[in-house]
Amino acid sequence: MVSHSDRSSIGALTTVGRRFIEGVLTAWTAVSLTFFALRLIAGDPIASLLSQGLASPDQVENLRRSLGLDAPLFVQYLNFLAGFFRGDLGTSLFTGRPVSTVIVEQLPATAQLAFAGLGFALLFGLTLGVISAWKEETPLGQFAASLAGLATALPVAFTGILGLILYRQLLVVIPLLSVVKIRRLFLPALLLGFASAGAIARVVQAGLKETMKGPYILAARARGIEHGFRLLWHALRPALPPVVSLTALEAAFLFAGTVVTETVFSRPGLGRLLVTSILQGDYPIAQGLVVLAAVFYTISHMLADILAFTIDPRLRRVT
Amino acid sequence: MKHRRLIPLIILIFLFVSTSTACSIGTKESSTLVYGLTLSPTGIDPHLNASSELGIPLASVYDTLVFRDPASGEFVPGLSETWSISPDGLTYTFFLRRGVTFHDGTIFNAQAVQANLEYVMNPDHHSQKAQFMLGPLQEVEIIDDYTVALYLSEPFAPLLDSLSDVYLGMASPVALETWGPTEYQFHQVGTGPYRFVEYIPNDKITLTRNPDYAWAPSIYQNAKAKIDTIVFRFYEDPATRAIALESGEVDVIGEIPPHDADRIAVSSDFDLYPIAIPGQPMQFFFNTKKAPTDAALVRRALIHAINRPQAVKTIFGVYSPVADSPFLASSFNLEPQESFPTYDPETAGTLLDEVGWRITDEEGHRSRNDVPLELHIVAPPWGSNSEMAQLIRADWEAIGARVTLEIAPGFGPLKEAQAEGEYHAIGINLFGTDPDLLRSFYSSTGLYNWSQFEDPEIDRLLTQAAQESLDLDARLNLYEQVSSRVQEEALVLPIRNYVNLVAVNNRVEGLHFTAQGWYPILIDLQLAP
Repeated sequence: MVSHSDRSSIGALTTVGRRFIEGVLTAWTAVSLTFFALRLIAGDPIASLLSQGLASPDQVENLRRSLGLDAPLFVQYLNFLAGFFRGDLGTSLFTGRPVSTVIVEQLPATAQLAFAGLGFALLFGLTLGVISAWKEETPLGQFAASLAGLATALPVAFTGILGLILYRQLLVVIPLLSVVKIRRLFLPALLLGFASAGAIARVVQAGLKETMKGPYILAARARGIEHGFRLLWHALRPALPPVVSLTALEAAFLFAGTVVTETVFSRPGLGRLLVTSILQGDYPIAQGLVVLAAVFYTISHMLADILAFTIDPRLRRVT
Repeated sequence: MKHRRLIPLIILIFLFVSTSTACSIGTKESSTLVYGLTLSPTGIDPHLNASSELGIPLASVYDTLVFRDPASGEFVPGLSETWSISPDGLTYTFFLRRGVTFHDGTIFNAQAVQANLEYVMNPDHHSQKAQFMLGPLQEVEIIDDYTVALYLSEPFAPLLDSLSDVYLGMASPVALETWGPTEYQFHQVGTGPYRFVEYIPNDKITLTRNPDYAWAPSIYQNAKAKIDTIVFRFYEDPATRAIALESGEVDVIGEIPPHDADRIAVSSDFDLYPIAIPGQPMQFFFNTKKAPTDAALVRRALIHAINRPQAVKTIFGVYSPVADSPFLASSFNLEPQESFPTYDPETAGTLLDEVGWRITDEEGHRSRNDVPLELHIVAPPWGSNSEMAQLIRADWEAIGARVTLEIAPGFGPLKEAQAEGEYHAIGINLFGTDPDLLRSFYSSTGLYNWSQFEDPEIDRLLTQAAQESLDLDARLNLYEQVSSRVQEEALVLPIRNYVNLVAVNNRVEGLHFTAQGWYPILIDLQLAP
């Protein structure tokens, strides 16, 4: 006979294993799509490489051969896959540096921004969600709900510039702010978090309103638990698993969101790297970033599953 | 309630700490300037990479064999004290300056020149620009420690100009050898007034002054750099550039959008420097291989139809001159031979009527033998080309054409659209100080012959001009003939001469630029006390 805890860990392992296989398939699909899509959309990388160089037609062909870009597309694809399974993502067409080195160099800046952004997203999302559900009928609740809507609607491209302008005006009043260097991390993380907070707030609000109707709330009330505590603990906890799944999605989205944020706030990072490599036709780097995104997406989903198991015992039942 | 009392205390401590940091920065003897760059290049080894942005810091890290005087366009001594060109234009001999040391302490000599040029020409290094600037260079010979000869397979007039640009700046052979083509960009060593400290991609480039610098060329005003440290940061989003200057994040920043420039120009804290960039104007080439732009009269009509002064003013404000010639540089101002077609929609209409494109419907659309007058514009995404293309479309629609516009999202797609050949007008332009640039755009076999015009006369003139190594006036005359032929055939629609709007905190003094236009002369910068 299998004990309850064994059965639950089997359930968790099955889910995590399934996620892993899904992740590998996701990575392969994403990378293959990227490989062909980039070449269809972004055109000839040699043209980009030589956009400032006045090469003769012969010199152009020599360079193409030398970079192995004269082979048929399918052969290039097989070569790429072979390298991919050896763990070799290739080298940048523009600098000859290993793709993995270039990515690892930019990763910390993006991770810093994305995690700080995620922190703000959870902070704003949970706060706005709880307030809008709790104080639904009051102006405060309505304000929180509209703010959550606004957060979803306003792109960082807009709030970023607005933030910079406000910051510039603020500097006139409080010159000390420039010493604190909040402009480099605090401001971008705040705005990135704000942009991702809307969806979280909505799910928290919807979940809370649902669980507030549950019989255990009635039971809690019968035990005489006061309003605020009841709401935040008894109702919030069962409402959290979808929030965790969403947060995992948001985390992936945050990495994508850094594309604009990094540009507006002149921060280094993977988002900038991705844009530059696609625009310039440095395919190996763009491909490497897609692999990384797929891996990250898979891991964050596995973590979300594990976390959901921990929070909500009902999910542990094996069917 | 204890905490409430703590808060003011914390704020006080915080204020104290921040003011004391601020003071310590203010009283430190070392001076730092922050320079805002606009594009983050994929690589910054000038010998291998091609971005014009990289020269902004690196033109002060390297010295070149010769320098070009920004005012006169004359070549002046650099690392080479004198030079001679053989009468057949095939041999350039450089007599090098003695006593010059690289930032790593090694000696600059003929061996260094040879090592640099061979590094650039090495096919495995995939140089994106510098190798092509050397043209038909065959061999570099060390005559003695301080004399070096360059042998060409055919005369190549732009060679001195190439050697005056940062892409052929002289690097320490030891550093090139130690780091190799992939890592050298992070460890650059030159002989210039500033030393390379570090490059963190997408973040910053840091330079520090070279206290041993004692070989400043005549185009520099100072003998030694005044500012200790210069940090370069990247501001890719144009909307954030003026803000960065106004919040004190940067002291100098280029490529300010015109509407921000208006504000900077009237500000009492900042100055605006509109800097002319030599090379080609913003321009659109007509496809001479596709009807209806295969007819010169149609092309001429299409030029007449554009209100260029109005369009330039709309997009670039008051800072950009309208372009009338295919090339502009201080030493090579190619004046149009006859007056350039001005805005004249009536003449445009008459010309189109003449060749049979008549108005055939009530909405004023033109057609010929039931074929409607259709035009397809392809525009690159950078430098307001796409906005300009929209104004061009409106002007062409006003004379009865049906116009479609395609914005290519990058250089690769632009080249792809060009290769497909379905365009009637396509935007492309490059910068440069030598008009030999035009050979790539107007000769029959040129890489950028996107008008697809093949003309033996233009080919002959361009080849002859490229080989006329010794007589500058003769060259100028040949390019003027090219220019008037280009205009006669209405191959190109020039729009505006490029102006880089540089915004500067007025505590910065002494800002001026090299002949290439983009690169500031950092040695002459200083900060007002």
